[in-house]
Amino acid sequence: MKALAGVRVLDFGLLTAGANTSAMLADLGADVIKIESGAYLDPFRVVGKPDNDEGWWNRSPQFRFTNRNKRGLALNLKAPEGQRVIRELAAHCDVVVENFRRGVLDRAGLGYKDLSAINPRLVFAAISSQGDTGPERMNVSFGSTLDATSGIASLTGYEGEEPRISGMDVNYPDQIVSLFATGIVITAVMEARRTGKGAFLDFSQREVASFTLGEEIMASSADPVRASGRRGNREEGVAQQDAHRCKDGRWIAVTLDTPDPAIDAFCAGRDSADAVAALLARGIATAPCNDGADLLRDTKLQGVTLVCDERGGLVKGLPYRLDGKGISIERPGPDLGQHTDEVLRELLGYDDAQLKKLADTGVTSTTPTVGEV
Amino acid sequence: MDDKTALPLARFTILEVNDAKMPLCLRLATSLAAKIAADLGADVLKIEPPGGDPVRRAPPYLPQGESALFQFLNTSKRSLVLDLSSDTGRTTLKALLDKADAVLFEEPAGSAALLRASRATPIEIAAFPVEMNAANRPVSEFAILALGGLLHMVGEPERKPLRLGGHQASYAAGLTAFTGLTAALAARDAGQAAPSVRVSLAEVMQWVNWKAASGADAGGTSPGREGRNSEFQIVPCRDGHVAVVYTVTQWPATRALIGDPRLGDPMFTTRAGRRENITRLYEIITPWFADKTRAEIQKVAQAKGVPFGPIFSPAELLETEQYVSRGFLTEMAHPTLGALRLPQLPVQWNGRSFAPRPAPELPAPELAT
Repeated sequence: MKALAGVRVLDFGLLTAGANTSAMLADLGADVIKIESGAYLDPFRVVGKPDNDEGWWNRSPQFRFTNRNKRGLALNLKAPEGQRVIRELAAHCDVVVENFRRGVLDRAGLGYKDLSAINPRLVFAAISSQGDTGPERMNVSFGSTLDATSGIASLTGYEGEEPRISGMDVNYPDQIVSLFATGIVITAVMEARRTGKGAFLDFSQREVASFTLGEEIMASSADPVRASGRRGNREEGVAQQDAHRCKDGRWIAVTLDTPDPAIDAFCAGRDSADAVAALLARGIATAPCNDGADLLRDTKLQGVTLVCDERGGLVKGLPYRLDGKGISIERPGPDLGQHTDEVLRELLGYDDAQLKKLADTGVTSTTPTVGEV
Repeated sequence: MDDKTALPLARFTILEVNDAKMPLCLRLATSLAAKIAADLGADVLKIEPPGGDPVRRAPPYLPQGESALFQFLNTSKRSLVLDLSSDTGRTTLKALLDKADAVLFEEPAGSAALLRASRATPIEIAAFPVEMNAANRPVSEFAILALGGLLHMVGEPERKPLRLGGHQASYAAGLTAFTGLTAALAARDAGQAAPSVRVSLAEVMQWVNWKAASGADAGGTSPGREGRNSEFQIVPCRDGHVAVVYTVTQWPATRALIGDPRLGDPMFTTRAGRRENITRLYEIITPWFADKTRAEIQKVAQAKGVPFGPIFSPAELLETEQYVSRGFLTEMAHPTLGALRLPQLPVQWNGRSFAPRPAPELPAPELAT
């Protein structure tokens, strides 16, 4: 039995920070029902669209990577009927995950105050750029904005040059938020089981990113003239560390406990595989600088991080293994609205006439009204 | 949550077993996971080798010479020195394990067999996936960034790749181990058999860097560092730097914000067009930033819904209005080091924060009784 079997998640999560938090809950056995609508798609459906043909919104690799093992509903949050259905669903759920801009769900009557009045056991994870309070609570950000505002970018860059961000193909702060938020949600679920009381969990993505610089912040606070900034690949307390280009043109990363001015020439004179093997044999920490294609090829290195769904598509696996195992994908990322009828029948007992009325009034429409994000 | 009894993990007892021989990059992950649990109220006992956890001597340092790294990673814990090479040490450890819910340690710690066999759920931190069979391979955080593909993503395409600032490989693994720990505790709490948890830094880095694999799988070629060819770049302003970041839908607002009519040229209308003419685009927009401060830029950009990111150093974060308002960088009174400021856990639970308590002093070694 999985740790979160019996837990149901109402998932408004989008992109990575929100949608991946609920995906990690699904990995642990939670029943995750993802809410989107034709009027508001998870932006991953759009940024990853491979073409403009009919059904493009169901073919994005980024969406498929992140939303496996969930069921998908289409419900328009702007329609009063859509809002009413969500409120009914909230009574049957244990967790809400959302990363809308602050105020969006409140305006729809679907914020923590509204939903906890219906279901006091609800654990409500609000994952936002800056948190739910403070003068910048309404600020917008997109992945790498937080590299900048968290402090990480100020410590990233070539020696003495300008700061660097992780960029749109990484959006690093979004990734680590879900690793932390999932554990806090599980902690709150334990508390709700024990006490019968839910919780409002206010996550600031920027704070999560700054949290990873805890020792730098502490040292800077104690010593205002402390030198920080860009040091290339050097690291305080490490004798010598850098990336070196090998004879075959590939880069390798090398960390040395004692300085060796000849290391660059050593690498330049050998192919990368030979250089790595020779350095490892000397007890030196080194590795090839892999790209995505290398990662796809090296199945041993992959461990449990990638897995195929039932359609044969590659999707995200686990960041850890539980009892030595990864996960199997029980369902691929849902088509928009794929499980609307199934879930409304199962949880709310809706009949054909009720479902038809929602469809006829456009509340459960699966026709996208957006094409670009 | 000032009242300790009200803290959510208060009923759990957790051991963190430190082996002096393990690579520091693994220890940072172990200690971060246990620190989060400790700040949330778990009774975390850190078992240190004679002479203490080597992180006690690792940079960055406070002006008094103490390790800021150790102070940050070990808040709210208690500590006990045990020599696990002695029978007495192992006997004491066994007795402690009998009362613990979970035990965190690194692979291949000398005491791993003992720890795995206890009734406490094992949470293991390793460098590499099981499949690599590489427990004794030399490791550094930097090598892990390379192996997991994150290094390939930052910097200029023709120059060497760059690591991200901070201990990102270790800390991402530490956050993962914390979440694995809570899954194990939740299972125990529900009366189920708890799963053992194994986290490797190399797997976590690949998982974090999933868009590289996804991109290579979908397009045949891997994404990589784009530097000056990227749509998102860093530009200088009057008092520092700003990251230019915007989505496709935010382009019209971005164009209006900069207000230069040349941005109306059809070559910039689509994302593909902007990427193709990126050098020209930045020639046009860069001067707009030069005479404005980060604060001014953020204000006018946010007013138009444009997510530009002013770049702050760790020292500057201490003064940012948002962090001050939320009390995120809290002051902790340390008995010998005085007041230390550090980030508290990045969550507010029903509006309450989790104040960290000072890391333990190095205790005298446990004497045989």
